[in-house]
Amino acid sequence: MRHKNYSFQERLDILRKTKLQHTKLKSIQQGAKDMDDWGQIPYEGGFIFVPETDHPKGYVIGSKLCGKNFRLFLEKSPTYISKLSSLLGGYYFIFASYVTKWDPENYWVHLAQEQKKYNILSGITASHHFGMDLKLGLELGFGGILDKIKYYREKNSSGDIDFYDALENVVIGIQNWIKNHIKDAKEAAKKENHLQLKNNLEEMVEINTKLITNPPETFREVCQWAAWYQMAARVYNGSGALGNIDQLFYPYYKKDKERGYLTDEEAIFHLACLNITDPQYIHIGGIDEKGKDITNELSFLILEAVHSIKIAANIAVDVHDNMDKKLLYKSVELLFKDKLGIPRFFSIENMAEGFAKNGIPIETARKRIQVGCHWFSLPGSEYCVSDVIKINFAKVFDVAFHEMMEDFSIKPTINGLWNYFEKHLKKAVEVTAQGIDLHMEYFHKYFPELVLDILCYGPIEKGVDATHGSLKYNTIGVDGAGLATVADSFAAIELRVEKEKRITWKELLKCIDVNFTGEEKIRLMLQNIACYGRGETRGDYWAKRLSETFTKMIKEKTTPAGWTMIPGLFSWASTIEMGKETGATPNGRRAGEPISFGANPDPGVFKGGSLTPTSLAIAVAKVQPGYGNTAPLQLDVDSGLIYDENGIEKLEAIITGHFKLGGTLINANVLDKEKIYEAYKNPSKYPDLIVRVTGFSAYFASLSDEFRKLVYERIVSLSC
Amino acid sequence: MVNKKTITGFVFDIQQFSLHDGPGIRTTVFLKGCSLRCFWCQNPEGLTVKSELQFFATRCIGCGSCFRVCTNKVHIIENGKHIIKRERCMQCGKCVDECFARALIMVGKEMTSDEVVKVVIQDKMFYSLSGGGVTLSGGEPVLQSEFAYEILKKCKNNNIHTAIETALNFKWDNIKVLLSVLDIVIMDIKHIDSKKHQEATGVSNKLILENAKRLSKEKIPIIIRVPVIPLFNDNVGDIKKITDFAKDFPNLLYIELLPFHRLGESKYETLGLFCNTKKSIAPDKTKMLKFANIVRNVGIRVKG
Repeated sequence: MRHKNYSFQERLDILRKTKLQHTKLKSIQQGAKDMDDWGQIPYEGGFIFVPETDHPKGYVIGSKLCGKNFRLFLEKSPTYISKLSSLLGGYYFIFASYVTKWDPENYWVHLAQEQKKYNILSGITASHHFGMDLKLGLELGFGGILDKIKYYREKNSSGDIDFYDALENVVIGIQNWIKNHIKDAKEAAKKENHLQLKNNLEEMVEINTKLITNPPETFREVCQWAAWYQMAARVYNGSGALGNIDQLFYPYYKKDKERGYLTDEEAIFHLACLNITDPQYIHIGGIDEKGKDITNELSFLILEAVHSIKIAANIAVDVHDNMDKKLLYKSVELLFKDKLGIPRFFSIENMAEGFAKNGIPIETARKRIQVGCHWFSLPGSEYCVSDVIKINFAKVFDVAFHEMMEDFSIKPTINGLWNYFEKHLKKAVEVTAQGIDLHMEYFHKYFPELVLDILCYGPIEKGVDATHGSLKYNTIGVDGAGLATVADSFAAIELRVEKEKRITWKELLKCIDVNFTGEEKIRLMLQNIACYGRGETRGDYWAKRLSETFTKMIKEKTTPAGWTMIPGLFSWASTIEMGKETGATPNGRRAGEPISFGANPDPGVFKGGSLTPTSLAIAVAKVQPGYGNTAPLQLDVDSGLIYDENGIEKLEAIITGHFKLGGTLINANVLDKEKIYEAYKNPSKYPDLIVRVTGFSAYFASLSDEFRKLVYERIVSLSC
Repeated sequence: MVNKKTITGFVFDIQQFSLHDGPGIRTTVFLKGCSLRCFWCQNPEGLTVKSELQFFATRCIGCGSCFRVCTNKVHIIENGKHIIKRERCMQCGKCVDECFARALIMVGKEMTSDEVVKVVIQDKMFYSLSGGGVTLSGGEPVLQSEFAYEILKKCKNNNIHTAIETALNFKWDNIKVLLSVLDIVIMDIKHIDSKKHQEATGVSNKLILENAKRLSKEKIPIIIRVPVIPLFNDNVGDIKKITDFAKDFPNLLYIELLPFHRLGESKYETLGLFCNTKKSIAPDKTKMLKFANIVRNVGIRVKG
């Protein structure tokens, strides 16, 4: 019987459908989650993994046990074969959930109280959140990596044997995982009647048999190799970044094209399959060490690939003065066409200038790539644990305000309040720094970064895990969250209490403590002031002052153990959890309500002017900490803009304008307001609606109710 | 010290990131006061040149502050309802200052040109990147000609592109002085038939059409906007007449057809005014496409 051949797009359409079914099943199995969509496949059978451990208390802790068990885990994991995809493999389970990430006997009791007081997310036990260099793996292949480990194990005769064993186990585990897939793919090929798909399965067998040991040589092989490595990293501890694959994959693309082995259509297909396997962070375009544009054909094909599948992918584009303007146009066009919040935009040049202030050469700084939600790192040579260490400014404010009000010996003033705030912020930074030291000292003993280690510069060579200082740069990201909440609170008190004397400090305290119960008029009075983001307001003044003060505190010294910290402003999805920990604030925010979002001003009308995309772009550019880490601009634009014939150019102007003013990163959403409204009322009706939540895109239906509300409110308050 | 010569004007809104009032990203400054009384007007707060009290009943939290601060008994309760006696209102603004729920708003604010320019200049970066700038709209901005001139001149001095939206119902001299500080004129043509124009807008179109013709002989680029209003001009004949009138204007960039909408209706109630368009139905897409083709067929670019 003859079968009709599938076109690439037909295959992608089916793969996409399967992906949507998976997402739906996952949200039933796992419940709501306010984070990135992973490529994880829902498993419908039973899977039992009992880790092996010789620890007296049964913990799975340390290099030896983590390496050994990870290998076992991969070997026992069920295989996933899609005969329509060009890439073999898939994953169902995450190994990290079987690991004891910290020895409970070494719990940081001495810090916990203060961390809670200031609602600090300490980052202790935080995995990954830095980037490896995929290039290392593409050059060596898994066999080469094993050789490298062997070489340095012998060279470092005094080195940590357990650590080297563990690294070896990781690589052997991945190899065996591939072998299991090959075995099942062979079986599938035998049974397959459809000639095209049979061939595809046989090709996958051939390619992967080679990749068990050898480095990739063709474009399809490079995608397959990257897929294996990335899936392994994800399975190990949720890590997820491919990096600048338009550069890394280019030689393979070019060679195949020149030999006539590859068409652009096929290249798009492989890239799309890679994104379906796992929607990892991808960085496109950019500048070389000297600042020259390095956009190439693949930069465009990556955009085409995500366009062809319309799933929640994580692509970001470098925007700079000398960039290929067609890449910017195409990127913005995609935002309008697909309405998935893809891609995002960043300015390496602005970040590099800031990063260089940490004493790093600007040429090196320009090599940082996007590897996460709002963060960047030097591939393979920078340990930054970005996005996991956060201080809740609003909680610090809460503590400061109450301490001042409880001291009856002083007369409360706005300046006095600021001094209290500074004092407590300083304390919060100190507590955070101590937490970082603890993490850097111990984490490698509990849950080392074995998968990322194999593609970094240092861990194999020195026999030391990346979390313990073996990379050249250690630049720990510390973010402040709740900027607008605190800035507006200061501005509200300044105006209503101090200047206009409409209420006294005591009355304010009472209102805060009763959570504005019965005091709606006062709450509205405090809320309706000239807030941050409305253009040269007192709110803007306080936001800038807060950002500068925080930056100075983070930068004035290292942690006690000498680690460098880098300030950023970002709340990620923690805006809800942090809000729950924070009492009512003088900006009219009720207790438990979310704190403000990232570096963004609070949405809402009657706060001293409208919040437009331009006023947002200006406001967020002005509060940049400026040391290389970001304070992202969350930009939501109504799709109505496209009805205007120059809609794309107008959005381009906002993007380039924000970067000209000093911005670092833009998470943009082009949305149909009405669709969001409908989806908010009935999420299950829109299973494939993707929104940019913050640094990541997610399926709207899979978010928690609270987060959906937050995203909805942000979007309906758009003045465009 | 206050400079006695400082010119002030009445502004009822400044809208940043304005995308439909000329090219690029713009800031639109709405000047208060209009000489027309179009029955479909969706900016009724721009009609008179004085401050007016707007009341948004749904926002009211019933705190009673406005009753307490008003010495003129503007706010009263009748049949259990909060009623505004506008004829007693002196526009002192005391009730508005106390209304944190923003149920009461004083629409129309006296501003200096510097105050206006200070806001306009904030988005300068985005004007230059998008080919945008400032647009004076209304009401009828030309009624406050001196004030408009000052704003536009200051914007020009700051290298900001300038535009005006006008109904052209005034003496030529009033707009002539503005031309030196304008980069583009956006004007309304509502109807070619004078009688119908008079009926629907309260004024004849004689001055309007004369001014339009004179403008067409100036070097400045112009855009003509035609509000497409049910039972007034939403027919092939009337649209064709407007198109024919404009077809030989050498400086005409395009004609923009603006379909009637009802988004401003709720504003009437907040101002204590009666709305005339409650039963009108907006022209559908097919109709608008048909009109667009009429414009296109005489060789004029069309938008909308």
